[in-house]
Amino acid sequence: MNAETWRGCGAPRQIAVLTVWCLRTLVSDRRVVVFSVLQPLIMLVLFTQVFGAVANPANFPPGVSYVDYLLPAVLVTTGIGPAVAAGASLVREMDRGALTRFRAMPLGLHWVLLARSLSDMSRVGVQSVVLLASGALLFGFTAHGGVLGSVAALLVALLVIWTLMWIFIAFAAWLRSPEIMQSIGFVLVFPLMFASSAFVPVANLPGWLQVVATVNPMTYAVNAARHLSMGEPVGTSVLLAITTSVGLLAVAGFLAARGFRRPLTR
Amino acid sequence: MTDPIIETHDLTRVFDGVRALDRVSLSVPRGTVLGLLGHNGAGKTTLVNILATLLPPTSGTARVAGLDVVARSRDVRARIGLTGQFAAVEEQLSGMDNLVLVAKLLGARSAQARRRADELLERFELTSAAHRRVRTYSGGMRRRLDLAVSLVGRPDVIFLDEPSTGLDPASRIELWRIVAELVTEGATVLLTTQYLEEADRLADTITVLAGGSVVATGTSAELKSVVGKRSVHLTLTTAADVDAAAAGLRGLGMQVHTDAARATVSTPVDAASDLAVVMRFLDEARIEFKELDLTEPTLDDVYLSLTADRAKAEVRG
Ligand SMILES: Nc1ncnc2c1ncn2[C@@H]1O[C@H](COP(=O)(O)OP(=O)(O)O)[C@@H](O)[C@H]1O
Ligand SMILES: [Mg+2]
Repeated sequence: MNAETWRGCGAPRQIAVLTVWCLRTLVSDRRVVVFSVLQPLIMLVLFTQVFGAVANPANFPPGVSYVDYLLPAVLVTTGIGPAVAAGASLVREMDRGALTRFRAMPLGLHWVLLARSLSDMSRVGVQSVVLLASGALLFGFTAHGGVLGSVAALLVALLVIWTLMWIFIAFAAWLRSPEIMQSIGFVLVFPLMFASSAFVPVANLPGWLQVVATVNPMTYAVNAARHLSMGEPVGTSVLLAITTSVGLLAVAGFLAARGFRRPLTR
Repeated sequence: MTDPIIETHDLTRVFDGVRALDRVSLSVPRGTVLGLLGHNGAGKTTLVNILATLLPPTSGTARVAGLDVVARSRDVRARIGLTGQFAAVEEQLSGMDNLVLVAKLLGARSAQARRRADELLERFELTSAAHRRVRTYSGGMRRRLDLAVSLVGRPDVIFLDEPSTGLDPASRIELWRIVAELVTEGATVLLTTQYLEEADRLADTITVLAGGSVVATGTSAELKSVVGKRSVHLTLTTAADVDAAAAGLRGLGMQVHTDAARATVSTPVDAASDLAVVMRFLDEARIEFKELDLTEPTLDDVYLSLTADRAKAEVRG
C-alpha cells in the first residue's frame, strides 16, 4: 500500500532525464536523422559548386583552396537553421503535451529549455562532424590548422550556434506566435548567413554590406572558426567570438527562462 | 478537525478588464471532493489554474496543503496532480513512456518508475496499449492516460478540470469510479464540471460559480433545500377540473403551472402545511385527482435559479 511518494528531484537529474527525453523524441523521427546528415552535405555541395566557380584563387594563399576557406564558415552557418527551428518548435509545442504538464510539476522550467537546446545541439554536433569528415574525404578539405585547429573551430562554432539558438528560444518564449517566429526567421536568417564573412571576404562586399557584415556576430564567429581551422594567427577573433557569445548567451538564457515561465493564456 | 487542504480567500483574477474570478473564498477539507459547478466562462479553469500555480491571482490568497500557491509554488507542485481540460501527454511517445518520464522527473529510479507505470496502466485499463504511441489512442484512452500521469507521484490534491467532457457514457462512469477510489485512498479532489449529475454523484460539497463569483456552496441536499422548493404535481381527470383547481389555488396565493394536455396542475410548496392547504382545497372543491406527486428540485433547477438571480443582479448592477 502506501508506497513511495515522489516529490521531485535535483537539477542534474532533471536535466539528464529531460535531455534524454528530448533526444529520444528527436531520434524517433527517422526523417530528422536522415535530413540532419544530408543537410550539411547539400550545403557543402551547393556552396563549393556555386561560389567555388566564381571564387578567385588569387585571393587565397598558395595551397589553400576555396573549400578550406569555406568549410569553417559552413560549420557556423549550418547551425543557423537548427537555431531558428529550436525557437519555432518551442512555440509550436509550448501549449501542448508534456510542456504544459511540466508547469504543474516540481521542475525548473528553465531546465526544460536547457534540455531542448542540448538535444538540438547534439544534432548540430553530429552535423558538424559529418561536415568535417565529408569535407576532408569527399571535397578535398585540408585542415591547415591540424586536427586541433579543426576541433577548436568546431567548438567555437557550437558555442556561437548555441547562443543563437537561445536568442531564438528567448524570442519564442516571449512572443509565442508561430507567425512572428517565422517572420523573424525569414528576416534574420539570410542577412546573418550572407551579410557576413562566410562566403567572401568582407573587403570584397559592397560598401553598405560591409557595414552590415562588420556588425554581424556571425562574421566574428566565422572569422574565429576560419582562423583556427586554417591555422592562421587568431589575433583577437577567437576571444571576440567567445566573449560576445558568452555575453549574449547569458542575456538570452536569462530572458528565455523568464519568458518561458510566464503563464500560458488561452 | 484538521485544517482545510485547499483554502482561498477573496481570490480575484482580472484578464484585461474581465473579472474571471471575483473574490472567491472557499475551503476544502482533506479527503473530500469539491465539485465546482458552472457554465462555460464561469471561471472554473481560472480557479483551477491559480490553485495549480499555473496562474498568479490578481489579488487574494490561496493555500494548498497549507502552502501559499504564489510564495511556495514549487512545494505546492510537489503535492498536486492536475488533469487539465486538454490532455497533457506526448503524442509521439507510448503511454508507458509518458508515465515513466513523469515518474523519473519526480525522482523515481528507473525500476520504480516502470513498476508505478505498470500499476497505473493496469488500473486505467491501458495495459494492452502500453507500448503504442499515444497518437493512436482514442479520446477516452487519452483522458485516462492523462489522469494516470497526474497520479504518478501520489499527489495529496488532485485537480480535474472538466474530466468527463468529451467522454462517452461508459468512460464517464469508469471515471466516476476512479475518482471515488482516489478519495477512499485519502486524496482530496477538486473537479470542475458543467454536468449537474456529475457534481451530484461525486462531490461532497458543491460550489456553484457564475460570472467568476461563488453563488452557492453546500452539499447537494443543502443546495436543493435552500434554493429549490418541492413541488406538488396533480394529475386531474377533466379540463374543467384543471381550470377550477388552477383558479382556486391561485386564489389561495399559490403559483400555479398547468399543462392542459396532460391535465396536470403543479405548484411549489414550502412546507408540509402548504401541502395540507392544497389537500383541503381539493377536498372542499370536490376535485378528484388520479395522481399526486411530490418532487424534489433537481440540481438543474438549483443551478438555473441561482445563475438566473445572478444574471439579473448583473443587469441591475
Ligand atoms: N487568458 C485569458 N485572457 C482573457 N480572458 C480570459 C483568459 N482566460 C479566461 N478568460 C476569461 O475569463 C472568464 C472565465 O474563464 P474560464 O476560467 O476559462 O471559465 P470556465 O473554465 O468556467 O469555462 C471567461 O470570461 C474567459 O473569457
Ligand atoms: Mg474551463
